[in-house]
Amino acid sequence: MEIAQVADPADPGAGLAAVVALRRLADRLEDSQVEQAMRAGWSWSEVAEVLGVTRQAVHKKHARRLIAAGVALRRR
Amino acid sequence: MQTNQAKDVRAVLVRHARRAAQLDGSSTIEAEHVLLGLAELEGSTTARLLAEAGLSRDEIKAALDREWEQSLAVAGVRIEVGQLPTPSPDPARRPRIGESAMRSLKRAMDNASALGGGRIGAAHMLLGVLDAKLGRVARALDLAGIDRAALRARVATAAEQGDH
Repeated sequence: MEIAQVADPADPGAGLAAVVALRRLADRLEDSQVEQAMRAGWSWSEVAEVLGVTRQAVHKKHARRLIAAGVALRRR
Repeated sequence: MQTNQAKDVRAVLVRHARRAAQLDGSSTIEAEHVLLGLAELEGSTTARLLAEAGLSRDEIKAALDREWEQSLAVAGVRIEVGQLPTPSPDPARRPRIGESAMRSLKRAMDNASALGGGRIGAAHMLLGVLDAKLGRVARALDLAGIDRAALRARVATAAEQGDH
């Protein structure tokens, strides 16, 4: 990876667009990987610990979506 | 009648754009979702002009994915985004209007008052999206080799004639 490329002073737009692209990627990965973990029987607490957030935060963000998708969720 | 039709188009557009945002896993409706919604306005002049310019819904999605891949590559991440696992969408989520869509709406209103022709229509909305010089849509269209100025001129002509 060329760090200089990210910091290219001639094209700040490309560097800023990279930030947006990385956020999109992180969001997409969070959604799919939380779903995968819960399908594999992980608890909300375990997922929250790996992500470094509270159990409430991860539950609030993902529970409704996973219930709608028919994922069997553990209570704790 | 005219007013009711205009209202219908806006309702359909918001529904399409919101659905596009949902499928994208986005908590907000952004300009790219509005563009996808416009391409899905079946039977409309706006959707036809987009398709003629090489911007059907699928072509827009492909262009947005290429922009995503290219921008990730700038940060050293080389992946095909089409290969990413697709999370289940949240059918109950109602994405709110995001910042880039708000800017597009503001520009659409500017176009509607500049071009005359009364109420804001789909062609004005497309002008609002096309007038953004920065952001994902502009980058994606440039990468896809779309002549934005030529498309803009055709859409402006349609808007002036009240043909949305």
